[in-house]
Amino acid sequence: MIRLITKSIVHRPVRNGALIISFAFIAASLFSGHFLVAGATDSVRQELSRLGADIIVVPAQYHAEGEAVLLRGEPSSFFFDSAIVGQVENVSGVAQAAPQIYIATMPADCCSALVQLIAIDPSRDFTIGPWLAQHREMPLGKDEIILGSQLVGDIGSTQYYYGHPFRVAGKLEPTGTGVDVSVFLRAEDARVMAAESVAMAYEPIEIPEGKISVVLIKVKNPAESTQVASRITDHVEGVRVITPQYLISTVATQLDATIRILDLAALVATLVSLPLIALISVMAANERMREIGMLRALGATQARIFYLISGEFVIIALAGGILGIAVSTVLLLSFQSYISVTVGVPLTVPAAGSFIVSALAAVLLTTGIGGVAAFFTAVRAARTEPYRAIRSGEL
Amino acid sequence: MIDVSGLVKIFLEGGREIRPLDGIDFTCERGEFILIVGRSGSGKTTFLNILGGLTQPSSGRVKIDGNEIGKLSDAECSALRFRTIGFVFQFPGLLAPLTALENVTLSSSITGVTPEDPAYARTLLERVGLPGKADTLPAHLSGGELKRVAIARALVNRPSLILADEPTADLDIETEREVMALFREINRSGTTIVMVTHNTELAPFASRVMKMENGNLTEYER
Ligand SMILES: Nc1ncnc2c1ncn2[C@@H]1O[C@H](COP(=O)(O)OP(=O)(O)OP(=O)(O)O)[C@@H](O)[C@H]1O
Ligand SMILES: [Mg+2]
Repeated sequence: MIRLITKSIVHRPVRNGALIISFAFIAASLFSGHFLVAGATDSVRQELSRLGADIIVVPAQYHAEGEAVLLRGEPSSFFFDSAIVGQVENVSGVAQAAPQIYIATMPADCCSALVQLIAIDPSRDFTIGPWLAQHREMPLGKDEIILGSQLVGDIGSTQYYYGHPFRVAGKLEPTGTGVDVSVFLRAEDARVMAAESVAMAYEPIEIPEGKISVVLIKVKNPAESTQVASRITDHVEGVRVITPQYLISTVATQLDATIRILDLAALVATLVSLPLIALISVMAANERMREIGMLRALGATQARIFYLISGEFVIIALAGGILGIAVSTVLLLSFQSYISVTVGVPLTVPAAGSFIVSALAAVLLTTGIGGVAAFFTAVRAARTEPYRAIRSGEL
Repeated sequence: MIDVSGLVKIFLEGGREIRPLDGIDFTCERGEFILIVGRSGSGKTTFLNILGGLTQPSSGRVKIDGNEIGKLSDAECSALRFRTIGFVFQFPGLLAPLTALENVTLSSSITGVTPEDPAYARTLLERVGLPGKADTLPAHLSGGELKRVAIARALVNRPSLILADEPTADLDIETEREVMALFREINRSGTTIVMVTHNTELAPFASRVMKMENGNLTEYER
């Protein structure tokens, strides 16, 4: 039966090829939106887990910039008083607090690329430490830097920032987030670099004394991180907290418009093609009426005829669905960073689980659409009296 | 084997009534070879299709092997066609995507009731004079060859009744003789055959010849 169906599909390559492509479009538009959401949320989760932070504290007035750095790696500089670190550490439930200083390099500076410099305190920092441990390397030494995966530079080579020479000590794994375009250095070195920049750089930078940009926080009990976050906002002046849930929902909001467009495209594709596909199924069945009558004469029941006709469309839709998912996956992956920039969200390959779920869902839905389009034709073909079916071919 | 009584078939054609079959009584014993002759449009094909349960009579009763066809469910009627009846249509009716061999085993693949028996199908293709054409697609077969594949297809389930509608119409005289000899051989091995033809010269092959005329089936005087 299946072989019979596939043979008759292959027998009409042009018509069925066109059908497969239209089903592929439906599947692709259904799938892409979910791929984006899953990819973006996974990416945010990944970044946060790589940072090791349960909560991120940013200056209240620089809320948006904090997100921009974290989500998109948009270079920016913002500061608040380093006394905050002590205050945050005293909030109950906080296990560890690590300050970081964000310094955006300017295009016309010292440095060839627009990157985000992130100055850390190696003794307190828990974000870079585990990475280095993974890479069997020593804690960040004097005038040493670690590069994000997208930045150019061999380990051991020298790079200049604001005229100050740094040795590349390590390179991070790709994350699909802002970390990929960041340079990590020690806070002491950053201050030295800033002081020297007055003489060394074309355009000097300033890192205000006693200021930091963010505080990354590890809580004692991750289940309580929301409570700890609200305690921090209550007890510490002039700060905003960013939690993983918050970042994920920010990403979801940013993607909302894109997903609506994709869902709308899927809906339009379905609405436009459903009647067309149904029409093609009617034509295809009419073309095969004599064959259907003849198969009844050979002993095929009405049910078998129903399966034969609807099965053809279900298989075509299934093939189209799989093709659509495959092509859109390849496209989404190869234009991953481009999409990430245009849509303004970080993007990684979604975890296998959510990937498979959304791919399966899209394929199932597409296959269902194929079944629906062919349903009435299949019923009609099955119900037609065999003799009438045989004669209708003689017209 | 076949028991028909009071069979009427009415077609409505643009409000006009056509009555190709008008009160036919007909019986056929197991093992008979019946030839039905008659003018074009006299209702021969319609009659054969009613015998096979492919269309319902307007009134009257048709029994095949004791089963009243009008009272069978779709599944039962389909099973009867699959197990008991072999059809040869006026047209070959082969599936274009399938090879000759696959067309012969088609009834098994479409019903899924019994596994396909390609070895027997191959033997049948040889018996209808098509050795070496098993893997040929219908597009590459002549009209007569197509017809012979259709005959092989009708025989593949070893049916006890064959309903054949002008099976030799497209064949040259020599092939026609061969095919008729094949039908006679099948008949001698116990299969009942009801065959429609225009060619009264085929009468010697049959045990009985009937004539379809004015909606009635009568003994044909040779
Ligand atoms: N489904 C139908 N609807 C309307 N009229 C029909 C239908 N089937 C058959 N007829 C009419 O019934 C008559 C008998 O047709 P049938 O095909 O049985 O003739 P036949 O004896 O087989 O002719 P031929 O020798 O040309 O094949 C014809 O007048 C035909 O037009
Ligand atoms: Mg006829």
